Amino acid sequence: MEWIFYTFAFLVAAAISGTAVYALYWSSKHGQLRDFERGAASIFDEHEPVGQMTDHFPVKRRKPGTLNPEP
Amino acid sequence: MASASSLAASLNPATPPDTVARAELSEIDASTRWPAIVFLLSALVWLLVGTVFALISSIKLHTPGFLGGYEWLTFGRARTAHLNAVVYGWSTNVAFAVAFWLMARLSRAKLRHAGVLVIAACFWNLGVTLGVIGILAGDSTSIEWLEMPSYVTPLLFVAYALVGAWTVITFRFRQVEHIYVSQLYLLAALFWFPWLYSIAQIMIIFEPARGTVLALVNWWFAHNVLGLWFTPIGLAAAYYFIPKVLGKPIHSYYLSVLGFWSLAIFYNWAGVHHLIGGPVPAWVISAGIAASLMMVIPVVVTAINHHLTMVGSFGALRSSPTLRFVVFGAVNYTVVSLIGSTMAIRSVNEITHFTHFTVAHAHQGMYAFFTMVMFGAVYYILPRLLLKEWPSAALIRTHFWAAAIGVTLYWIDLSIGGWIQGMEMNNANVAFLDVVRHTIPFLLVRSGAGIIMTIGHLAFAVNVVWMLCARRPAGATAPTLFHKPPAMRAASAR
Repeated sequence: MEWIFYTFAFLVAAAISGTAVYALYWSSKHGQLRDFERGAASIFDEHEPVGQMTDHFPVKRRKPGTLNPEP
Repeated sequence: MASASSLAASLNPATPPDTVARAELSEIDASTRWPAIVFLLSALVWLLVGTVFALISSIKLHTPGFLGGYEWLTFGRARTAHLNAVVYGWSTNVAFAVAFWLMARLSRAKLRHAGVLVIAACFWNLGVTLGVIGILAGDSTSIEWLEMPSYVTPLLFVAYALVGAWTVITFRFRQVEHIYVSQLYLLAALFWFPWLYSIAQIMIIFEPARGTVLALVNWWFAHNVLGLWFTPIGLAAAYYFIPKVLGKPIHSYYLSVLGFWSLAIFYNWAGVHHLIGGPVPAWVISAGIAASLMMVIPVVVTAINHHLTMVGSFGALRSSPTLRFVVFGAVNYTVVSLIGSTMAIRSVNEITHFTHFTVAHAHQGMYAFFTMVMFGAVYYILPRLLLKEWPSAALIRTHFWAAAIGVTLYWIDLSIGGWIQGMEMNNANVAFLDVVRHTIPFLLVRSGAGIIMTIGHLAFAVNVVWMLCARRPAGATAPTLFHKPPAMRAASAR
């Protein structure tokens, strides 16, 4: 009976390893391993561009129920 | 455009990914709102539950009579309930929320059919609740990191399958050309965890392997839950939040890709180092030690990347709660991983094995690294889901300092205590009871450190509940409703 489980375990391990190899091949074929500068900048856009911080401690509001005013 | 809006179309592999439009970040955040809130609040509840069991088991180590009249709170059950509450309750719930939120943002695609993930959250938390109750009732399997009774496995499996599938579906409908390194880590973790969990369940619980193979599978699973599930999620978050908060691209994207692939190759071999000295073929142990030392490559690469991105921007730590927590976690990732590689060397392991040193190491990994990064992530995500500011900066600072001081005190104290314990256990002239007695001062300090961390958790919980109850400011519909305060401008100009 246990050979069924071990066969299953082996097939899953082979599939996972195969997926990793395929992922590396896919990355190479689709240019994911080229032009690294573009990759690094891909988390920024026109609304949250490079040079703009996007997190800060909350500051006290001047009036309750309103947003922090621009200084 | 709307052809992929039905559930069947989303699941159908033939549905072309370009049937959806590139979404704004505010739309993406809104699409993840309900499942993310349910997972995050569940995580918070489990953090508090896990903290209570942590304090009980820590106090019992130096004061064994504490709550001694309750069989369901004996050390073996309370400590196990703590581990499962924080690993499967807190850590996995928060990891799920961060994973699908990040994946949706990085894919520039809205989360589809979010209600399914709310159902997944119900299944997962029902499973963990029954599992922890089962442990307290004496149903523990006694397998390290798999203690929850086997009757909860189907619930956890269904929940995981839904979260995993939904995150992969989000990735499939991505509207970006380039895959960011955080997506690689998330995707890999989502494939690795079900592999680890299903193989461990089969070979340990349902059809137990015989002899030492059982121990091998156990440590392959237990170590890889850290290395192939929590570590990639933590690193994915760090790789996103550090550059994103600073508004500055990562130091070297090339190194980040190298770090990912080297982690993928080496980590899954490393768990065997837990069996050094055990009745396992020597070559298997040697392979585990070699892989543990090879882990220096991804760790150093990641350290260079995280820390050099921060160079020149340390002033921003004063103004960003997220950055504080995430950078603290990233520094600890470097330290804990290098200590871990050293601990795998036979001559070092002879001293640290079976001592509190290992406990210190585990807490530095799961708390000082992973949990602190997740705290940072929650400070970034929750305001964007609720469109509200955090109500109290003082509570955030209390949380950070209590957690940072508490966990640092914890791992330094137990590392010293564990090392002394190991040296004394190897010395035949020291009686075993004396060895135990000499650990007591370190165990007292550990309980003190636990109380400090608890203060941080309470500050976090109060801030979250306060935020949920607070009224949303009028007009808060912008993608990120935050306007730049003067301090932040000064920091980003540096």
